Amino acid sequence: MFSLRLPIPLEKTLITSLPKTSTTYSAYSGMTRFQVCHRYLSNSITKRGTSVVAFQDEVDGEIFVDAFQDEADGEIFVDEDFLEVDPLPVELQPELMPKHVAVIMDGNGRWAKMKGLPTSAGHVAGTQSFKWIVKLCYSWGIKVLTVFAFSMDNWIRPKVETEFLLNLFERSILSQVEECKRKGIQISVIGDTSKLPKSLKSMIANAEETTKENPKFQLILAVSYSGKYDVVQACKSVAKKVQDGLLHLEEINENIIEKELETNCTEFPYPDLLIRTSGELRVSNFLLWQLAYTEFFFNKKLWPDFGKDEFVEALSSFQNRQRRYGGRH
Amino acid sequence: MNFRDGAHNLYHIIVAIGYLGLQLLWYFLQIIVSAWYYILIAGNIFESYFISYGVLKKYKSLHIGKLQYLAIVIESEDAHQTSKVVKLLQWLDSVGVKNVCLYDMNGVLKKSKETIFQTLKNAKSIEEVNEDVTHHAPDHMTLEFVSYVDGKEAVAKAANLIFVKNFKQHNIGGVLDHQISLEPHLNQALQIVGCKGPEPDLLLVYGPVRSHLGFPAWRIRYTEIVHMGSLNFMRYGSLIKAIYNFTKVRHNYDFPKASSQPSTRNK
Repeated sequence: MFSLRLPIPLEKTLITSLPKTSTTYSAYSGMTRFQVCHRYLSNSITKRGTSVVAFQDEVDGEIFVDAFQDEADGEIFVDEDFLEVDPLPVELQPELMPKHVAVIMDGNGRWAKMKGLPTSAGHVAGTQSFKWIVKLCYSWGIKVLTVFAFSMDNWIRPKVETEFLLNLFERSILSQVEECKRKGIQISVIGDTSKLPKSLKSMIANAEETTKENPKFQLILAVSYSGKYDVVQACKSVAKKVQDGLLHLEEINENIIEKELETNCTEFPYPDLLIRTSGELRVSNFLLWQLAYTEFFFNKKLWPDFGKDEFVEALSSFQNRQRRYGGRH
Repeated sequence: MNFRDGAHNLYHIIVAIGYLGLQLLWYFLQIIVSAWYYILIAGNIFESYFISYGVLKKYKSLHIGKLQYLAIVIESEDAHQTSKVVKLLQWLDSVGVKNVCLYDMNGVLKKSKETIFQTLKNAKSIEEVNEDVTHHAPDHMTLEFVSYVDGKEAVAKAANLIFVKNFKQHNIGGVLDHQISLEPHLNQALQIVGCKGPEPDLLLVYGPVRSHLGFPAWRIRYTEIVHMGSLNFMRYGSLIKAIYNFTKVRHNYDFPKASSQPSTRNK
């Protein structure tokens, strides 16, 4: 219960107030700034701001969204290298880290509503939390991170919102593909891509192809995905194999179906830990088949407010659980 | 030289005192955090007893109408305690929850089915009930017993059934119709292989792990999942609180859910 080690080494107890990057960014002319965000960084303590900068072109009312911006001393800074390694907190044990973490990034819209911002601002803020989680998983030895970026059920949302989301997704990935390749991060996308715009489909194919070599970490993005769809497409694949003579009907069992699921793109297809934000206690049609023994962690924070502290709490909770995978001790 | 040595020693003493001071502060913080943790646990226990004895008025009236189908997952090791399972079902019956699905991975509850039905006089098996269980009059409990074989294995059997049927219907050189919309056929086939129950609105997990332990995945797309702790420490108050929270919380579904409409009441 009591730890003999201090949580923070003596020499690192000072909080610095300068951001990590210092590239000046010019604002668009004629833009209205909604809010300003603040971030204070130190070697070992990070406090995230809860605001976001979004710009609105006053000419045609279109919402432009760009990288998360920090302000210090009147200058605006752009976050560049989000994959700088973050040291493992002392309360976490490296040997007990989950191999595969899945995240349902819920609450962007509610976050924006609470702040009096348009929904798009919530999604922009959400991408920053997403980048944080990728960085932390990469740094802390987690092998696979699967995020529920866009559900098949989300297609019923207003077209403006879905187009914005997919556009944001496309730009976010496009801007990070080369960095991911350099760092050994493999990008994989699962879901029914038939409904996606052509540009996004080709970007996905390019990102997967570019990042497939020598991966140290795998990032799986579930886009236009549903757990039921995954099982159904697996069954269709099995049926095709039966028709092609590769399989007999009598051989069909759950293992055969499992091999055809879209998560077979990874060495660790079953999440050890599922995190869902915003206080909802459901899996919402995400990785239904794969979640049989997954530890659930439901957090009340909205996704844009989910940061390192909350992730550490989820991992600590996971490490303290007894997981029996259905058997006895 | 003596002055230098003295200064050096003084520096070491100051650092040591500083470090000791920080350690004491750290221990003190840990005591505070631990004490807070135990206060929270005690608070939960007291709240549970207050709910049980009707002290907390807001839990006295539950709007059960929103909870049409409840699932309970019990760890197989704990599932052997049939008396506790029966007690839990009696509690549910007393608050008006009539449609319950009981799951444990190894099928222990299925083996205790007879004992459970003998003890609960007004309970029927879901196989005996012809009408849609979510709409029948609440004069008896309807129980469904499910285990791991009713999950993934059932989907594999259902898929097999569809393939066989499809091959027979399109048996011209063994060509399979890939255009068939598989999902509704899979739903029907699951009914045929014995998976009759609807999607639960709420799933309570009794066990050490916050996991549904293989509950039929096909049925929990939008089910609320609440971890209740071990069956050994189950409390009536905690059960009421979980059900109350479910009925009161605004469910932020992204679509109009078929089995229950989203609540417009906020938490």
